[in-house]
Amino acid sequence: MRRAGELTANVLSNPTTLAGLIIITLMIGMALLAPWITTPNTPNPTQMPRDWGAIAVPPGSPGHPLGTTNTGGDVLYGVIWGARTSLRLSLIVVGVTVTVGVAVGSLAGYRGGRIDEILMRIVDVFLSIPELIFALAIAAVLGPSFRNIILALAVVFWVKYARIMRAQVISVKQNEYVDAARVIGDSPLRIFRKDVLPNAITPVIVQATLDMGNIVLVGATLSFIGLAEAGLAEWGVLVSEGQAGISAGRWWASTFPGLMVFLWALAFNLLGDGLRDVLDPRTETSR
Amino acid sequence: MTAADPAGISAAVRTDVVASVRDLRVYFGTKAGIVHAVDGVDFDIRDGETLGLVGETGCGKSVTARSFLRLVPMPPGIAVSGSILFRPRSQCTACGGAGCAVCENTGRVVSDCQHCSGSGCPSCDGSGVETVDLMSISERQLRQIRGDRIAMIFQDPGKALNPALSIRDQLGEVFFTHRSQELLDRAGFGASDADGAGVLVQRHAALRTRGIERMILAVPPLRGKRNALMASADDMIVDALSETQIPNPRKVMDRYPHELSGGMKQRVMIAQALACDPDLLIADEPTTALDVTVQARIMDLISELQERHRTAVLYISHDLSLVRRIADRTAVMYAGQIAEIGESEQIFRDPQHPYTRGLIDAIPSVTHERGRLAAIAGNVPELIDPDPVCRFASRCSYAAAVCETTEPALHVADGEHMVACFLHNAPPGTPAADLPVRARSAR
Repeated sequence: MRRAGELTANVLSNPTTLAGLIIITLMIGMALLAPWITTPNTPNPTQMPRDWGAIAVPPGSPGHPLGTTNTGGDVLYGVIWGARTSLRLSLIVVGVTVTVGVAVGSLAGYRGGRIDEILMRIVDVFLSIPELIFALAIAAVLGPSFRNIILALAVVFWVKYARIMRAQVISVKQNEYVDAARVIGDSPLRIFRKDVLPNAITPVIVQATLDMGNIVLVGATLSFIGLAEAGLAEWGVLVSEGQAGISAGRWWASTFPGLMVFLWALAFNLLGDGLRDVLDPRTETSR
Repeated sequence: MTAADPAGISAAVRTDVVASVRDLRVYFGTKAGIVHAVDGVDFDIRDGETLGLVGETGCGKSVTARSFLRLVPMPPGIAVSGSILFRPRSQCTACGGAGCAVCENTGRVVSDCQHCSGSGCPSCDGSGVETVDLMSISERQLRQIRGDRIAMIFQDPGKALNPALSIRDQLGEVFFTHRSQELLDRAGFGASDADGAGVLVQRHAALRTRGIERMILAVPPLRGKRNALMASADDMIVDALSETQIPNPRKVMDRYPHELSGGMKQRVMIAQALACDPDLLIADEPTTALDVTVQARIMDLISELQERHRTAVLYISHDLSLVRRIADRTAVMYAGQIAEIGESEQIFRDPQHPYTRGLIDAIPSVTHERGRLAAIAGNVPELIDPDPVCRFASRCSYAAAVCETTEPALHVADGEHMVACFLHNAPPGTPAADLPVRARSAR
């Protein structure tokens, strides 16, 4: 990689990227500090606390700054702990899918030949089913639980990275510096680590950043339609709990978590675009 | 002279030959058929000489050069045959590399053939000197030769350096790959350090450490040892860079390729190539991508370093005037075959092959009066499944019947000078009317 300092300065010089970064920092801060900002629900802090004495109260009510749901769930608690759930979801899914995708794509692209052929046909099978429907099907078969949503998304999302990585590796390995490395007697594995991987990984980093946002969006979709545990402090679940009250004018239970999903996805998209501008000068993007 | 004795060299075995190419053939598979990119090439490279390999684009000169290090990609390459016999040198035991009478001040000597102990056998091509066939040795053996005994400089230094690595990492690679013992010696680690720490440092110098071992080396108490190793690598890198007259090598070391000019990058490539005192340097048009002014300086640098290291250079170029200036001997390639080979002086003064003559006539000269340059009519023929005829016949003003039916072999024209043309070597029993005649086309 080029110098980290130079890179950071470039990223920060773009106002939209900076905005994205600020939102992300706030979101992650909120997620990490959730147990200190709010009183954790006992025994299970990932479940929203129920205040049966204050059902569907509007924002600004005592003890419930963002109001409560039809079942007395505190919206503020759901929003804050939802960030924690979302962070866990996106980190696990992106971590697993990037690792698997990069490994598979690298192997296929670097070795080529029959291995490439076999791996890419497997990838094609995965790609032939639409992402959301595939994830929905897996999560539905496994039964409603947030853990199964993570699993379903991990199964679906790795293929994209395999594709990107394979294409990158194939193009990078044709560079003359790879020949030059062979000429000085480097082993294939070392050439991969030293010459191919660092020069091929950038689009994966950009895609991973964008997916940090996308995965929360898809995850919220799945939990919205009821594939997560009921009452989980998660944005999709909260939106779903609040939707029944919207027609009766109780807008708050759905709006706040919806806004959070929107901000989360937006922030990571802004950062991802900014990273792409800096890391990959070839793609022109309008500012 | 017969085809069975292709270059007329194997009859009298020379021991001052660092590499011999014997009947090298490289074929590429395409949808249209099999392309004979290199089709039966024979030549020798002698100790410390510069052999210029010239020819038009697509004549197979780069493929020939890349075959030395088995860099021809497979596919599209489908078959390679023939052999490239290479005689690696090792450090002179009489002086330990310092230079003495035994090694003629080069610090390096050839070793006896392992199979016949010097009496001459097929595996050493009768020379009695340790010989490896670069075409048939294992990938692992080849890796030990690459970068150590045979090095290569590429056409475009901008593309041959990894943009993600600093010059230090780029150059250090060679030393860690081939000179780990020297690194350890310089850093003051003896071979007797057989305890855990010593072994770990030794492994690190040979690039064998993995994740956790690196972590152990990154923290005290082993951090100091690792830093000493890195410092000795830095010293070797600085030495290599200084040799190429790069100003401020300690500063340049921390730069990345995109921060250097083309000439500087080529100097870095040269430093990397000559870092291990190779016996043979393959230079594939090393100055084509550079400015003319930089070009001259790089050429001088290569010649000077070649002199100092006694390295043989295979210099590939399409620039005839450049080759004339720097090459001791010149080989002219046409359509995957050697058309003519000999002392540069002789070839340029008195070219024997009509193709060579055409090439020389096409060189612009300041002394000539203005006007059109002489060009060779026609194009390089398709190399897909070629017939066994003279490949230059379709463009040759001397072409006669025999040229369309028989393939000419290299034949001694005058001492070292060999040429593959029926003007000089008529196949026996051919009617005179079918032979090309020198006077038929006046120059």
